[in-house]
Amino acid sequence: MKTLSLRNLGKTYFDPYAGAHVTAVHDVSLDVEPGEFISVVGPSGCGKTTILNMIAGFIPYSKGDILLDGKPVHGPGPERGVVFQSFALFPWKTVLDNVGFGPKMRGVPKAERDRIAREYLALAGLSHAAHRYPNELSGGMQQRVGVVRALANNPDVLLMDEPFASVDAQTRMTLQEELTRIWQERKPTVIFITHDVPEAVFLANRVVVLSKGRVLDQIAVDLPRPRVWDELVKDDQFKQLSARVLQMVRAA
Amino acid sequence: MQVTGSVKGRSSRLIRSVSSLAGAAMFVAPLIALVAIWAIVVPLFNVNPRVFPSVGAVGTAALDSIRDGTLFAHVAASLLRVGLGTLIGIATAVPLGIAMGVSPTVAAFLTPLFRFFSVLAGIAWIPIATLWFGYGFGAIVFVIFNAVFFVVAYNTLLGVRTIPHSLRNAAASLGAGRWTLLTEVLVPGALPNIVTGIRTGLGFAWRGLIAAEMIATNVGLGYMLFVARDFYRTEVIVFGMIVIGVLWLLIDRLLLVPLERATIERWGMVRRA
Repeated sequence: MKTLSLRNLGKTYFDPYAGAHVTAVHDVSLDVEPGEFISVVGPSGCGKTTILNMIAGFIPYSKGDILLDGKPVHGPGPERGVVFQSFALFPWKTVLDNVGFGPKMRGVPKAERDRIAREYLALAGLSHAAHRYPNELSGGMQQRVGVVRALANNPDVLLMDEPFASVDAQTRMTLQEELTRIWQERKPTVIFITHDVPEAVFLANRVVVLSKGRVLDQIAVDLPRPRVWDELVKDDQFKQLSARVLQMVRAA
Repeated sequence: MQVTGSVKGRSSRLIRSVSSLAGAAMFVAPLIALVAIWAIVVPLFNVNPRVFPSVGAVGTAALDSIRDGTLFAHVAASLLRVGLGTLIGIATAVPLGIAMGVSPTVAAFLTPLFRFFSVLAGIAWIPIATLWFGYGFGAIVFVIFNAVFFVVAYNTLLGVRTIPHSLRNAAASLGAGRWTLLTEVLVPGALPNIVTGIRTGLGFAWRGLIAAEMIATNVGLGYMLFVARDFYRTEVIVFGMIVIGVLWLLIDRLLLVPLERATIERWGMVRRA
């Protein structure tokens, strides 16, 4: 496990429609400790997805540094796993082969990567779906596959870009509870992007509030785990924290 | 869960086989109606066999050509040409289409050429092809190749371009390099369009084949039609036309449709027609 550091990170790009340079991220500094679960919230256009795409290496950054264990990162790499809002499963691969894709890229032999994939599918309660194709699964199941596909590659950091935004409300709560459970079992380092404040508070150890490309504030969340919605909706501390973050986001 | 799943599977399979039977009947019915009208109209108006043959004459022509082996020779020659030309076309067009899809420079450079040559694709090449390859096999295979090549290359290019960017990002963040990105993402991702291209290309090829065989050879289905014309053998012409149509349907149903079922339909990348 390695520490991820953002140092004065900035992104400016040329917008051909506006005919001008636009700064999506002004100056963001952030340290993420190994095994931490961080939620990043903020209104649309605050730069949260841009930051995630820069950490993932999908887009280059204009200034500052992204350091993983002190070394700068450029371009995508398997030490930074990504869970996509659109799931981004390979339609032509079975669930088993989707989850085994990362190990396959590392050259792990077929039998061993199937074993790894089955282990992670069991973790997400998906053992029965191993030989199905993604299009045969519900949205919630597809995103479970998306999560364990990233985890099965054993990344130093797991980057999640509004992963539950496109599933229905009930499924979303189940997925959130499952994610906290999996996080407790495996303790991956997670950066979770969302615009849903209760979701951010429910999942994280720390909530980072962004505004106009800058870090507005950071709030520690020391709610006990395991976290379950039935209990947390009645919990005063959860309500207060959510209200506080929501206020900040709305004022941002 | 298991039980309901298997019952559901069995009943849906039953529904599918019943509906495919009904579909086959729907498909065959208009053809039968056409033959019935033909069987009535030709004797009723006492049509000159030099203008249009009777059903019986076509049947006799069919039996004769099967018995003396000429049908087999023509069909074999035609299928070999189409098969070879199509294979060469696919084998060269898919890599080029992918190169164009991956590299904007390659695409920009080749696009004007593609626009130009796709208009010319097919039978416009027959005269010069016969000069290069002589009358016969080589010239016809070249024309087929030409008809398949441009449409498959263009569809491959489209296929690569329509792969969602998130899939490339997903592969890269899971550790895929340039080569594995190609084999694991770009080729399978472009497959729906490649199959469409092959289907359209084969259609072009089949038409091009008949035209080329009328001009540039002495065996094959196109040649069979053309020679029969010289002797006013309308029953042989009509029989040949039927063979051409039926062979195309067989290629489509027995080769292309099962290929689509097993791949892109199973993956949910196109909806079942």
